[in-house]
Amino acid sequence: MEFLQYFGGVFEPTSFLLLLGGTMGGLILGATPGLSPTMAVALLIPFTFQLEATQGLILLGAAYTSTVAGGAVSAILLKIPGAPANIATALDGHEMARQGRGTEALHVSFLASGVGGIIGVLLLIFLTPVLARWALAFGPSHLFWMAILGVTIIGSLDSRSFVKGLLSGCLGLWLSMIGYDDIQGAQRFIFHDSLTGGVNIITALIGIFAIPQVIEMLAKGRVKHKIVAVSVAKQSLLSSLKLLSKNVKALSIGTVTGSVIGLIPGVGGQIAGLLAYDQTRKFSKDRDTFGKGNPAGVIAAESANNAMVGPSLVPLLTLSIPGSPTAAVLLGGLLIHGIFPGSDLFDNYPEVAWTFINSMLIGQVLMVIFGIWVASYAARVSQIPPPIMAAAVLVLALFGSYSVQQSMGDVYIMLALGLSMFLLEKVGFSAAPLVLGLILGPIAEANFIQGSMIANAMDGPAQYFLMGPLNIVLIALVLSSIAWSFFSSRREAEKNALLSDTVAKGGGAINDPFHDDTGAQS
Amino acid sequence: MNDIASNKATVNRLQHVLPATLVLLLAITVTWLSYTREPSDAFLFPRLISSVMVFLAMWNFLRAFLGLAKVGDGLSAQTVVRIAPGVIVMLVLVYFAAKALGFYVASFLAFLCVFSLYDPASHTAISSWVKRLLITAAFMAVIYALFTLLLKVQTPRGLYF
Amino acid sequence: MNKTLLSLALVAATSVMGTSVVSADDFPERPISAMVSYGAGGATDFQARIVTMMAGNEDYLGQPMVIINKPGAGGRVGWNWFASEADNDGYTMGAYNIPHFIAQSIEGGVKYSAESFEPIANWGADPAVVVVGADSPYNSIEELIDFAKENPGKVTVSGAGLYVGHHIAALQIQKATGTKLAYIPTKGGGAAAMKAVIAGDVVSGINNLSDAYRAREAGNIKILAVADVARSEEFLPDVPTMMEAGYEVDNASVNFRGLMVPAGTPAEVIDMLAERVQAMFGNARVAKQMAAGGSPMKIMSRAEVQEMWAARQETLTDLLAGLK
Repeated sequence: MEFLQYFGGVFEPTSFLLLLGGTMGGLILGATPGLSPTMAVALLIPFTFQLEATQGLILLGAAYTSTVAGGAVSAILLKIPGAPANIATALDGHEMARQGRGTEALHVSFLASGVGGIIGVLLLIFLTPVLARWALAFGPSHLFWMAILGVTIIGSLDSRSFVKGLLSGCLGLWLSMIGYDDIQGAQRFIFHDSLTGGVNIITALIGIFAIPQVIEMLAKGRVKHKIVAVSVAKQSLLSSLKLLSKNVKALSIGTVTGSVIGLIPGVGGQIAGLLAYDQTRKFSKDRDTFGKGNPAGVIAAESANNAMVGPSLVPLLTLSIPGSPTAAVLLGGLLIHGIFPGSDLFDNYPEVAWTFINSMLIGQVLMVIFGIWVASYAARVSQIPPPIMAAAVLVLALFGSYSVQQSMGDVYIMLALGLSMFLLEKVGFSAAPLVLGLILGPIAEANFIQGSMIANAMDGPAQYFLMGPLNIVLIALVLSSIAWSFFSSRREAEKNALLSDTVAKGGGAINDPFHDDTGAQS
Repeated sequence: MNDIASNKATVNRLQHVLPATLVLLLAITVTWLSYTREPSDAFLFPRLISSVMVFLAMWNFLRAFLGLAKVGDGLSAQTVVRIAPGVIVMLVLVYFAAKALGFYVASFLAFLCVFSLYDPASHTAISSWVKRLLITAAFMAVIYALFTLLLKVQTPRGLYF
Repeated sequence: MNKTLLSLALVAATSVMGTSVVSADDFPERPISAMVSYGAGGATDFQARIVTMMAGNEDYLGQPMVIINKPGAGGRVGWNWFASEADNDGYTMGAYNIPHFIAQSIEGGVKYSAESFEPIANWGADPAVVVVGADSPYNSIEELIDFAKENPGKVTVSGAGLYVGHHIAALQIQKATGTKLAYIPTKGGGAAAMKAVIAGDVVSGINNLSDAYRAREAGNIKILAVADVARSEEFLPDVPTMMEAGYEVDNASVNFRGLMVPAGTPAEVIDMLAERVQAMFGNARVAKQMAAGGSPMKIMSRAEVQEMWAARQETLTDLLAGLK
């Protein structure tokens, strides 16, 4: 309960102002396409030079929590996930916004973020010493199996076609290998100069999600504003809370998945959202409504990616090992004040450490309040007429992809991927598995190569990759995940065979009660 | 109302066979490259992935060829006609104009063109053109404030800005 | 109508923004970017952010410097971009890491060599150190090397990547002691290599002095030796150099960090930058923050850096040629 003593520090005028500013600024930065939490926190580092250690960390902590949640805003409203963590949010969240339920989507997204985030920070407060050992237990072989576990959900992530889902995933894995290989430094698949640096994940996200959406809007042709404008459904906070309470299962799956994945250094929050989304869908009674505006999808994804924030700092604060790029930047924020995290951080600098953690706790609450306040205004974005919206998303995509690394090559890659994705989607391929492949490729490859090198110096690859309790548990999970996808795809196929006459068109939002409205409007 | 008709355009077999062939060709190229390039150590993983990819691409091609592929809305001729101008604007302005004229000018033109091409309002009245220019300028001002002033992003300048 | 308005808009835009040609007198008139070839949060990125923080001061550049990260393949991605695409007008600077980029250019497969870049000034020198986990049975470099001699290829050594300072140090150690080490390059830089040592994934590691110093303070590792010609009196006065232990390993692997511009940048701009940037590195606040972070500084002028680059080019060519 030591942390309670230091709550006072958070509410000192300067600190609290910084916390407020950090949270609001973080939400805006997080909602900016192309700006991942890592970059947002790195941008703030110079500001902390002028501040005291605790104040600087309050600013960084607040920015970290709120940028992760802010990414949901652009994911829901524009279908541009601000960071890999928000991909799963876009799947159902944007569909909700298109149906005029943007306020609702933003409400549950912020509420779920808050719940997940607070539980994550509480884990950090109470279980740090226990969790630190767990974080270290993951060596290259285990990370390799973790990545493979992620690959196995590729097939089930796309319910429309098993083959095309897997093929999309393979395309993603292949895209991730373009450019210089990270370990050997060999050049692979560089067809064009822009590809030397490989396909940056943020750039790819913008292209794959935003560009097809721009083209979809153009495909509507010249339509009168009045008919197109989607009415924004009024949504009281109370009914959003009710909606959240109806989805406790999604919330718990998200929070647990996020906390566990967040702990593992090197995997990080990138896949937490997608894994939680997939689990929630597998355990849901009405799986067909996912991807068509089911709030449970948003809740699972957002609770997962904020739950990961607290635990992801465990290895940093206790062992000085940054488990994620963002944690590495936060480490910089500590170092410039001469604070070296480590097992004795909480003994030597209790005030700094606890104030930082407490500020993240308060920051979560502020983030929810501020997020809900802007939700009803922000949701009006869906009322913007399609031509302006298409133009705006296009220009945002251009600037977003350019600013990731200030490179024109990235802009070309973004456009090329976007146009290809639009065409592929038209014949049943899907974006989510492709992105998952793109994220998991490097994790799987680097750990496989590194593990093999270590194994060759030790007892050989079989021993290294297949033995040991953690390896066996992970392999069991991989096998059961494959079995699940296989059987559920067979069940799906049988169901489809029965319906095939009526569902020749496939994929569309046929079962969706809201679809009729939008259909009539266009 | 035409829209509903285009939505219902069923995907014909050709629309599935064509992309399936392209994906198969890509998979074969990638596999060929993975097995022929050096150093072979660096291509271990690509070999693994590309082999799986070729297998899946063949399966996908067979399904498309036999008319078993059913998912996807396909593209109707009408949709192609509708999206073509916008896509051409995107490609031309980004690929050729961004470096020559400057990133901001190209983005400004891209916004204005896409907006004007698809705006149902009158294209002869001056007032609607003024409105379009104002909206474009306002949006670019927000972008400038966010990216250049706040984030200090340095965009390619080209001839103008 | 359309065209008139459009051209009007363009004229308005150009008159506001101006299309002036850069002249050395009023350089710089807008923020300068500094490209770092490693990810945000890495040692190079962290130090670059500190040493450039005073750039906005009128005594130095009068314009802020913005860090752009272009990580990938041990720095190759960033330096390739810097050599082939970066504007050579002085507004795009880059951080160099020696011996990394020189070793990579000798190895081949990249678009740059020492001639592609013009050094401006050096800010730091971070020697490589040999580390083992806190509970490792080895307490001195001799014990580790003796074990490696008895078990060739069995001692796993983690480092930040291939042909970076850590790898050079490993190659030098192999050459000097006649042992065979299993060098394990990690993805994710020095931090990931350090994690592998702390978690016991590998027997030992080669890492940056600054990171190792902090990890030792945290009680996670033991530092066995420094790969430099002299001990680090400021941070690790108790750790012997490889030379003291009797192994012929010099300072070829010391990681020098500084700023550079692409070749072809106007001479006046280079001269101006060389003077101001060196002064900026010497700022007292910069020194204070660098010391707080445990990052050893070494400020060198443009001329000194040019000399150092040439010397490294020679040693590394010899060292790497001996390996093929």
